[in-house]
Order: sequence, then C-alpha cells, then structure tokens
Amino acid sequence: MRASDAPADIGSDAHFRLAMASAGIGMAIVSRDGTWLNVNPALCRLLGYSREELTGRNIREVTHPDELARTAEWFAALLQGDVDSIDAEKRYRHRDGHTLWVHLNVGTMRGADGAPEYFICQLRDATAQHAAEAALRELNDTLERRVAERTAELEALNQQLELFAFGVSHDLRAPVRSIDSFSLLLEQRHAGQLDATGREYLQRIRTAVGGMGALIDGLLELARTNRAELKREPADFSLLADWVAAELQEAEPGRAAEISVQPGLRVVGDERMLKVLLGQLLQNAWKFSRGRERVEIEVGGRQDAAGLQLWVRDHGCGFDMAYAGRLFEPFQRLHGPEQGGGLGLGLAIARRIVERHGGQLGAESMPGVGSTFRITLPANAVPAA
Amino acid sequence: MTAAAILLVEDNPDDLELTRIALDDARLAHPLVVARDGVEALDYLFARGVHAGRDPRALPALVLLDLHLPRLDGDAVVAAIRAEPATRTLPVVALAGDPAAAVDGALAVDGYLPKPVECTRFEQVTAALGLAWQRRPPDAR
Repeated sequence: MRASDAPADIGSDAHFRLAMASAGIGMAIVSRDGTWLNVNPALCRLLGYSREELTGRNIREVTHPDELARTAEWFAALLQGDVDSIDAEKRYRHRDGHTLWVHLNVGTMRGADGAPEYFICQLRDATAQHAAEAALRELNDTLERRVAERTAELEALNQQLELFAFGVSHDLRAPVRSIDSFSLLLEQRHAGQLDATGREYLQRIRTAVGGMGALIDGLLELARTNRAELKREPADFSLLADWVAAELQEAEPGRAAEISVQPGLRVVGDERMLKVLLGQLLQNAWKFSRGRERVEIEVGGRQDAAGLQLWVRDHGCGFDMAYAGRLFEPFQRLHGPEQGGGLGLGLAIARRIVERHGGQLGAESMPGVGSTFRITLPANAVPAA
Repeated sequence: MTAAAILLVEDNPDDLELTRIALDDARLAHPLVVARDGVEALDYLFARGVHAGRDPRALPALVLLDLHLPRLDGDAVVAAIRAEPATRTLPVVALAGDPAAAVDGALAVDGYLPKPVECTRFEQVTAALGLAWQRRPPDAR
C-alpha cells in the first residue's frame, strides 16, 4: 500500500475503532474496577453474550468461580503498579454454562499522571490447546502405571507358559518311561527273535527315546532352576567339581581324562544348583574333547574386590566366537551330534543358575584349541572369611 | 502257609507291568497284590470295602506306593497307614516317577524307589530296611 493510498483517517479514533471492531480475537476495554466498557464482536462471539449484555457488567460475572481469587490478585497487582501486564490462561463461563479456557492478555492504559486508567484486554480461545495439554499430562502421569500393568501382564503370561511347559514335560515322563523300558526289555530279552534289520530298528527307537528323555529332563531342570527357591549356604565348589568329574569318569571308565580342580574354592549359594551348573559345564567340556587323545579340563577360581571369578577350561574342539551370542540360548546348537553337540539346553540352564546367584556366565573359545567358560559372581556369593 | 503279600499301589498299567517284571527277576515267592488307587489300597489294608472279608491280621510284608494316584493321593494313603496302630510300622516304599521328588524327605515313608522299578535297586532298598524275602527256586514259576 502506497502512502498516497492510505486512508486519510489512519491514526484517527475512527481508524482504531474500526481496528478493534475488525479484530479476530476478543478485545475489550475494562475499567479499574472490572467493568466491561467496550467489547468487540469477537469477544462477544467468544463468550456467547451480546454487546448489550456485557457492556456495563463486571468481568466477575463471566469469570469462572475458581478464577475469582486469581483475577482479584491480578487487579490488585496491576493497580498497585507491581506489574504492567498480565499474560495467562484463565477460565471464563460461557453464556450457555460451559467452561471456556481463554488465553488472556491485559495491558495497562495509563492516564497523563501515569496511573492506570483503563485496561486493554485481549482474549483468545485456548480450549483446544488446553485439552491437548491436559491429555498429554494425563498420558505422562498414567504412563508409569500402564508400564507397570504391562509388565505385570507379561510376567503373568511368562509364568503361565512356564507352568504349561513344566506340566507338559512332567506328564510326558510316564509314556517316555514306558517306551524306554519296554524297548530296553525287547533289546535285552527278545533280540534273538529279531533279524538284523529288526534289531537295527530297535536301536533307532532306543536312541530316539533316549534323546526324548534327555530333552524332558532338560526342560524340567530349566523350569526347576527358574522356580525353585535359591538356598544361600556356604558350598565347596571344588568338592562339587571333583564329584562331577568322578561321575563323568565313571560313565566312561575307558576314557583317558585329567580334570584338575583348584582346591579351596568356596561359594555362597544353592549347592544343588551349583552341582547342576558344574555338571553342565564339565559335561560340555568332556563332550567337546571327544576328538582329543585325552580329556583335559581345568577348574579354577580367583577372588578379587568385585567378587569371585570361576572358570572351566577345556582343550577340545572349541567354537567360532562369531556364534557366541547364541551360545546360551535354549535349543541353539553350534555342533552337530558327531562333534558331541547335545540338545542345546545345558548352557541355558547353566546361565540361568549363574544369573540366579547374581552373576554372569561368559565364554571364550578358539576353534581347534579349546574353550573357557567364565563365571563371575558378586561379593555376596563369597563366604565371609 | 503262604508268604506275606507285597501290596503294590499303582494306577499306570505299564509301570505296574515293569514292577511285576522286576519282582519276578528277584524270584520273590511272595504273592503280589495290586491296588489301582489309594482307596483300594486302604480297603485292602483294613479289610473293608471291596476287600471286606479278608483277614485284617494278614498284613503285607511291604507296600510299594506310587505317589501320584487318582481318588486318594499317595500322601493321604501314607497318612492313613501311619494313623492306625495296626499299620503304623508297616514298611512303605514310595515309587517316584520324578527323581526330584525322591529327595523330599517330607513323607513318612521308609524309602524311595525310582521308576521304573528295577530288581537291583529293589534289593538294595529293601535290604537296607532289613527285609528278607523268600525266593522261588530258579526256573520254577
């Protein structure tokens, strides 16, 4: 707009009256005691009243009851000169009764002496914004509760699954026992009535049911490890290791083996579970040494400031460290049965036992050289001196 | 006079047959009485119900008790046996399908046998209880 096109009355009263009348947001001039002196159409539309209904009335009449105290404070502050303006969100009462959130801005119109004479108020509808903010606050507040609920749901589901797996494994015991026992009796007492092929088929049945039995035992052991109460008592880790070593040798008396166990390793924990742990680790070490002339395993430990470190080291076929992440997952197998690979539950059980004792189980290996399984236990697993 | 019976309380027909085979291998000359559940077992021991008319003084030499039974569970049977003066000292060996149950120690039984019952373990456990058996001569049926 060029200066020459400007209306002659820019800056005149008529101009400002037109401005106020045309404004899209509610505007009003309010007296020092809170009387609506002049209200624009936008304000009337916002509050739902006509110009005649508002003019001459006090702002208190359309202020929400809960805001009366605050409004009085603002007036006092403005009149005393503590503040020059107000910018806040305030609730009004619409003509039809509902609550209206409004963004209010109040400026002071001063007389020649500088004292407040009138207030110029601007009111903008903040209902939508306010609702959004309230919803966000509600969401945040309830977030913690909803997370807790979800976690509880998940835990309940997990427990159900565990119970189911436990129940199924338990109920499978009896029929597996039947197949195992009668196929064994066939083999031991009636093999003569079978031809070579029949005996071969019988052998396959025996092997398969052996695998089934081992899997069920593994599942039940895993479930027991998860559910049973952990006893905290001093336990002789070295003695347990010797015991397991003796059992392994007894199972294969012809196998040349040397298992050296560091004496004096003491741990605070559940003796039964610790024996199961050693059983899994030593059995693995034994199995993966299959290709070697001799089974060589070392069991050792070291105490330090953080707690206790225990290890089981073998010199067997080892595994590729690239697969180390899958090592402790149930049913993952890094070796086929020829290399001694079993059902893949053993390390999952071992890890669970270590975790229940507050520790961590890790492994390092070099293919063709051997593996070391390392148990780190916290200080509370170390017996007091 | 016939030797005292052995009472086997077992509901699983396969486990029953395997136990029968184990006792047969041991060539025991004692008759095997089978009860399919706890109620039948107590009926037999106290000569009532289906076994009314039996001489209650002729108690078995040993009770082999499966713990997981229909109608009346193993623990209830043991409790009933221990509650009566006539049967309080009756040797009871529990048959454990689950090896973990075998180390329980909470039941008032005299021993545990893992399933399937095998001749050697049977001999070990009963010998430890001081029980002596009459045997059939070899090859006699």
